[in-house]
Amino acid sequence: MDIVIQSIIAGLLVGVSYAVLATGLALIVGVMKIINFAHAEFAVLGMYFPAYWFLQWWGIDPFISAFLAIPIYFVLGFILHRLLLERLAGSKDAENSSLIITMGLSLLIANLILIGWSGAPRVINQPYTTATWSIGTILINHAQTYSLVISLVFIVGLFLFLNKTLTGKAIKAAADDPEGCAYMGINLRFVHGLAFAVAIAMTGAGGILMATYRPFSPFFGESIIIILFASVILGGMTSISGAFFGALIIGLIQQLSAFVLPVDLQNVAVFTVLVLILYIRPEGLFGKKGRVV
Amino acid sequence: MTDYPPILIVCVACVLFSYVLGPDRYIQRIILLVVIWAAASSSFNIISGYAGQIVFGFMMFVGAGAYTSGLLFKFLAISPWLGMWLGAGVAVIISLIIGIPTLRLKGAFFAIATVAFPLITIPILNHVGVQEVSIPFIGKGASSMQFRDMRYYVFIGIVLLGIILTVVRAIESSCFGYRLKALKQNETAAEAMGINTYGAKLMSFCVSAGLAALVGTLYSFGILYVMTTEAAFGFLIIIRVLSITIVGGMSTVWGPPLAACLLVPLGEWLNSQFGSRYPGVQDVIYGLALIIVILYMPEGIWGKIRRVLSASGTAAVDSRESVAVIRKGDVIKPESVQTSLKLNPNENSILFTESISKFFGGVCALDQVSLRIPRGKITGVIGPNGSGKTTLFNVINGFFPPQSGRIIFEGLDITNHSPHANCKQGIGRTFQIPQVFSNMTILENIITGAINRSKNLRDAHMAARKIALDMGLNRRVHEPALGLTLWETKVLEFSRALATQPALLLIDEPMAGLNSEEADHLGEMIKGIAASGVTIVVIEHNVHSLLRIVDYMVGLDDGKRVAEGLPQEVVNNPQIIKAYLGSRWKEEHHAGS
Repeated sequence: MDIVIQSIIAGLLVGVSYAVLATGLALIVGVMKIINFAHAEFAVLGMYFPAYWFLQWWGIDPFISAFLAIPIYFVLGFILHRLLLERLAGSKDAENSSLIITMGLSLLIANLILIGWSGAPRVINQPYTTATWSIGTILINHAQTYSLVISLVFIVGLFLFLNKTLTGKAIKAAADDPEGCAYMGINLRFVHGLAFAVAIAMTGAGGILMATYRPFSPFFGESIIIILFASVILGGMTSISGAFFGALIIGLIQQLSAFVLPVDLQNVAVFTVLVLILYIRPEGLFGKKGRVV
Repeated sequence: MTDYPPILIVCVACVLFSYVLGPDRYIQRIILLVVIWAAASSSFNIISGYAGQIVFGFMMFVGAGAYTSGLLFKFLAISPWLGMWLGAGVAVIISLIIGIPTLRLKGAFFAIATVAFPLITIPILNHVGVQEVSIPFIGKGASSMQFRDMRYYVFIGIVLLGIILTVVRAIESSCFGYRLKALKQNETAAEAMGINTYGAKLMSFCVSAGLAALVGTLYSFGILYVMTTEAAFGFLIIIRVLSITIVGGMSTVWGPPLAACLLVPLGEWLNSQFGSRYPGVQDVIYGLALIIVILYMPEGIWGKIRRVLSASGTAAVDSRESVAVIRKGDVIKPESVQTSLKLNPNENSILFTESISKFFGGVCALDQVSLRIPRGKITGVIGPNGSGKTTLFNVINGFFPPQSGRIIFEGLDITNHSPHANCKQGIGRTFQIPQVFSNMTILENIITGAINRSKNLRDAHMAARKIALDMGLNRRVHEPALGLTLWETKVLEFSRALATQPALLLIDEPMAGLNSEEADHLGEMIKGIAASGVTIVVIEHNVHSLLRIVDYMVGLDDGKRVAEGLPQEVVNNPQIIKAYLGSRWKEEHHAGS
């Protein structure tokens, strides 16, 4: 029984760590109606800079870096939107073009990390990295616990920002009815840039939280990007809360599948669920069916 | 037939080029890589370029080819010459397994869904112990596709490339190519034009997959020697293939080979020069190339070259006169229509609906609507916004299946038929917001309609020419539909619908946005079409203009049929006046008559 509880806890911990990234991705998909294939690369970039290097250079704790990363990645996101994505918006083929351009971006980021900082796997060595609490036979890692709390802070922060501030409401409105927003004097370009920047900031910080307890390498993004998509699709594509629960479900599937599948097939379970969802309910578990014509 | 000699010439030239360079393994290996990536990208181009469905999981098919032939050779000693075709068969089956469910998904959904398959395959293959398969060198030469001289592989690769380019060119210049071009631009309009969009996408997916698997066999025997799941099913393949296709130009025959000639040697050179110090330098180039081309040259290198060439060729014909000039007394006489089906020629109704209902979530858009459309007449449909008029068209047309009820067209139950099947059956459609294929020329737009009733592209071309002439569009048939005025766009949409030779034409708000002169002319046009034997149903808010042309009328309100009969009866129906026309209508109307 304990082993089941242990797996459920592990699943939720992993799930929440995905959720930080997945909510950002859902925000991009929902507001800009494009897919950011480079999403996970920003998490990987965050693991190296600031997390790893700030610790090496100045001994800044990664959990502090996670907060420092937010303004850094916000600016980076805003600039990248300006440079790459803005001019694609509104074109007939925006969906495919932005998919391809972000594919190029993900290649670029991963390989620049490889060139700059080598492909050797890195670990952040802090007292909490391996320390655990034990409740009976159930072990809970310190770093994962801290990460869980900070992740929830970020996600709640995103919700408050979107629902309580005027800027956040403008972003939500732009997701709902871009044309209506334009008539109401909302600058769509700016709002899209803002949404992208917020999403990238979440992701950069979320990557750092992951790096506090697991080793990482330049191509880590490749292994989680589809997991993020699975979460977002499960959650109904454009719903941020949907993506949150989608990520939790994915985390649980990953951990609980270990009872029936060999460990090296963990992700097979996740992707199989993704494929099944796309077959059976392409609008996702929490999504609504839209009109076609 | 003049399309194919260039492919032959280029391939022969490449073989000679490779032969002359001598047996140097390094140089020949790079040439082989160029040929392999050109061939893989060209097959990718069919589904992702021509059909517009980007397959991020494309490595699945290259890998399926490589692994099938490799494993068969290693464990069962089956020659790769046979194995490559078996691999292609496996890839086609996989493409059906992937494509049948996922091709219903739109755009980016589809792209992402396809990536899941190689990601499932890699761990499973690793798990069953074939993570690494070395292909044994048995030294039997040609019979086992194993050569010490790389030039043999290059030769095989070029033959394969030639075959693939020929297939691509054949698709491009066939009716099938037209269908793909149309559905890539506008799936809704393509369906209404009788194109089985799902079937066409699935077909091109299978062709792409099969060809990619052939390339996969050559890749494993000529380049890899030791196959790993990562090399055969990994992201490296889609990165190369996507970059080469995008840089060269999607939906072009020569783009992918050209880009392969540029990118592959550049990448290999960078790798040999800086690879040890900067291990990812090759993929940095591919990533940069993707970003720069999408931003500054989305049509790709060959697309750009082609546009420059065609611009210099046809610049002289550009005159800016209106495409469709309205002249008084123009009578439009489209070809009298022959549908394949005439079961009840004595029946005086062409279409019945029997209590059809349609809900969107909790909203009832159509509530038990029963009506009949008289043959050879013009029937008007009126009702306030949201009363279900367009939904009625979408249900009859097959875009939405009704939740209950039946639709009978010419004695045939068409309730759950798809729009393309209904188009073939003889139901034409124009849209409230005109849905033309804006990147195609006027003539090409009409051809997409005409291919439904033509034996081949040449016939369709001639039929389309005739309709363009009938409809007054013949002056600038080679110009893109993008720059047309609203009036011209509507005339084009009518022409395209008529090219499908409909027995019944559904026209949705034709006069919206037109000035009164244009609206009158359009009314005349509709009458002309009806006079040639086509039954017409028209939704229109301009009731005055509508009354001048219709013989029969249906009034809808709140999803219900509230009136049906002669036009004067319907517009005097108290419920229609209350819900739609307003009491002032009655006063004006009575004052007028």
